[in-house]
This record gives sequence, C-alpha cells and structure tokens, in this order.
Amino acid sequence: MILASAGNALVWVVWVVAAFSCLGSAVAVVTFSNPFYSALALIGNLSSLAVMYLLLSAEFVAAAQVLVYAGAVVVMFLFVIAYVGPRLETPWSGGPTWQTIGAVAAAGALLVEIVVAVGMQASGSLSHSDKVGAAFGTPAWIGRVFLVDHLLAFEITSVVLLVAAVGGVILGSHTKRAV
Amino acid sequence: MSEPWWISIIKAVVIVNIVLGLFAYLTLIERKVMGRMQLRYGPNRAGPYGLLQPIADLVKLVRKEAFAPSSAIELPYILAPIVSAFTAIAAFAFIPWGPGWTVHGWRINGEVANVSIGLIAIFALGSIGIYGFIVGGWASESKYSILGSMRTCAQLVSYEVSLALSVLGVVILGRSLNLPEIVARQGSWLPYAAPEFIGLVVFFFGGIAETSRAPFDLPEAEQELVAGYHTEYSGMRWGLFQMAEYINLITLSGLMVTLFFSGWHGPWDIGPIWFLLKTMAVLFVFIWLRTTLPRLRYDQLMRFGWKVLLPVATVNAVVTAALVVAFG
Repeated sequence: MILASAGNALVWVVWVVAAFSCLGSAVAVVTFSNPFYSALALIGNLSSLAVMYLLLSAEFVAAAQVLVYAGAVVVMFLFVIAYVGPRLETPWSGGPTWQTIGAVAAAGALLVEIVVAVGMQASGSLSHSDKVGAAFGTPAWIGRVFLVDHLLAFEITSVVLLVAAVGGVILGSHTKRAV
Repeated sequence: MSEPWWISIIKAVVIVNIVLGLFAYLTLIERKVMGRMQLRYGPNRAGPYGLLQPIADLVKLVRKEAFAPSSAIELPYILAPIVSAFTAIAAFAFIPWGPGWTVHGWRINGEVANVSIGLIAIFALGSIGIYGFIVGGWASESKYSILGSMRTCAQLVSYEVSLALSVLGVVILGRSLNLPEIVARQGSWLPYAAPEFIGLVVFFFGGIAETSRAPFDLPEAEQELVAGYHTEYSGMRWGLFQMAEYINLITLSGLMVTLFFSGWHGPWDIGPIWFLLKTMAVLFVFIWLRTTLPRLRYDQLMRFGWKVLLPVATVNAVVTAALVVAFG
C-alpha cells in the first residue's frame, strides 16, 4: 500500500518535471537568438514529450519519438546550423504576416482542443479504461492497428513520404546541374 | 514472478561497474593485442604483464588538469562528454546476459531492464549519444573540432540507417523487439547468424562505422583532424568521450551476440559466461580489423554506406519478410 502510493507519487513527480521541462524548452526554442541553442532546446522538448508518452504507457511511441525526432531530425538541423554558422540576428521581421496569422489560429485551435479535452475528462466521458489492456502501446498492438485496422491511411502516409523523398532527390540533382 | 525493485537497483549498480571495468580492461586488451600483432609487447610496465595499466591511466587522467579553450562555450562544452558517456552506459541496460535465476524465492532477471521495445531503445539512446560528439565539437570553437564533429555526424547518421535495417530481418524472425524474447527464440531454434548471415555482415560493417573504429575512423583521422571532435578536450573530459566510444563498442558487440549468436545460450548452463566469451570474441575481431586495414577515404565511406550497405540491408529485410510470410 505504502509502496503503491510511493509509486503514484513518483509518477506525479516525473509528470510535473516532464511537463515543466516540456513547456520551458518549448519557450526556449522560440526565444533563443542562436539557432544552435534553439535546436538543443528542441531536443529537450522532444525528449520530455517522450517521457510523457512513457507515462501514458505508449513505450513504442516514446522510443520512436526519441529515435526519429530527437535523434535523426534534430541531428540534421544541427548539422546544417553548424555548417552555415549561427545567424545571430532574430528572424522576426515585425508586422503580421500570413504565417503569424496561421500560427495564432493553430494555437487557438490547440487551446480549444485542450479546453474540450479537459472538460470531457472532468465530466468523465473520456474514460475508456476497458480498452486499455496490458498490450496497449506495445509494438505488436501498434503493428496491428497500423497494418490491419488502418492499413489504407498507413499506406497513404508512406506514399506521401515517398513523394517527399523523391522531391528531395529531384531538388538536389537539379541544383547540381545548374551549377 | 517479477523482480523486487531493490534487486533491480543493486543489479543495475553491479552491471554498470562491470561494464566500466570491462571498458578499462578493453583498452588494455586492445593495446596488448595490437602490440602482439605488430610484433611488440604492448604495455608491460604497470604491474605483472601490464595488468595495472588501466588503473595507472585512470589516475593520470583524473589528476590531469582539464584545459578548456578560452573561446569554448562553457555549458555545452562540459555537458557533451557527460551526455555521451551516460547514453552509452544506459544502452547496455537492455541487453540480456543470462536466463534469470530464483535465489531463496527472490527473482533475479538476466537483464537490467526488460522492456517490449528494447532494441529500439538501444538505437534511440545511441542517436542521443551522437549529440555529445556534435555539441562537444561545436562548443570547442576550433576548426578541427567542428570538422571532426561534422564528419562524425554525417557518418553516424548515414550508417545508422543501414544498422537499423540490418536488424529488421532478426526482428521479423524473432517476431519481437524484446531482446530476451529474441534470445529465447534463438535458443530453441538456431542462432540467427545462419539464416540472417547477410544481416550480420551489414550489421558488422554498420557497427564499425557507428563506433568510428578503423577502417571507418574518419571522424578521428589523426593525420587530417588532429583528433576530431575531442581535439580540445583533455583530462577526464576526454576520458569520458573515450569511455563513451568503448562502451558503445561493448554494447554493440553485446547486441550483435544477442541478435545473431543466440546471446547467453551455449552447451553448458553457464549463461553470463557464454555471453561474456562471445562478446569478447566479437571485440577481438574489432581490434583485429583495426590493426589490419588502412583507413578509407571519405568519399569511399559515403559511397559504401549509401550505395552498397543500404540497398543490401533493404533487400535483405524485404527478402526475409517475404520468406517468413511464405514459409513461416
């Protein structure tokens, strides 16, 4: 009993630390003027998100998050930044652009989603604990969801990624021919 | 029956120390073996047969003043070796080295952490460990360091893809990402080195490149880059980078034994000893290669990684999947 409550307290402590480092590093990503530090803060952000996934017993998603995003993607960012060298002037050019408007709209949509989710959680209509079995979040479970239940969506995503890869190759070979 | 938490903690401490000891003596074994292969003795002054050499090295490194370039960027410069060493040690936690035992009713598992995603977790920790090398080189504010870390970055990212694809065949055969399960399946069948021989070869080449060992040691090519990303490090900070590299090598050898040579299984019931013997055999091959082969050129390295290793790994994974679906 004491051990169980100690375990619960540990989960809370980890959650609070992960949540605050997630928020803190997210703010750091957009406030650092040196892009190298921004990229480093992004690693912290993605890693603390992975901790949150772990707390939600989504082990596979957590590991994939670290491997793909915190690992491969940000490495590319750092590679480019270290090559090009830091541009210390801030990218903010002032005045509302379509990008700013889009960012505000997206943030508003996220806020609405969070409010709705918290409201549904409070009223108890989000509770699906019967669906969360012991296998939830395991690679086998995710494999079944991806390759059996939602095969079409999964394949369409892979085609989109393939198009992106082909596009990258075409862009690369095109610039080479121009030079 | 699950393992009590205090046994897990004791075991983790013991295993970390064993791995650190193995790292210390791996440096000695490497120098000894290289020495014999080059017709000399290797270190033989500190203790009988030079057996105390790692301790002498450690005392020297700890007492040495850790210089930092005046233009170095403090916090990342200091944190980089720590991140690398930490992820290297942490990755070993997922590797099973024994069948697990029950002593006086207490369960002791044959690995520190038994998780359903062990294999991905090792790769994930490895990809975080790369940051130590990149950030360390960048924060040193030195041309050689930044060139070395760029090379490290490009090489590790390139070969990580082949490495991850090469184990896909094993995952398909083992039907699991859980390393103890993969070992158990090999124990009741045969080592995956036989059906997955091509995967093993790709994993081996990818592993040499991932750990920046000769002949793929371009990130640290002495003649071109002084020492690569750790040019500006000295004392125990340099020691931590060295530790990260060697422990990565140990983990990789352990992973190779786990995935392809049926882990701790063997004729007699001496699980961990079999695991240690097989791992040492793999490590010996790594050392052997270092003394045998000259370093590749950078373009050869990249061409080999992307145009040979990656297609072979992909075809191997696809063929394995097709065969398993057809006959499995």
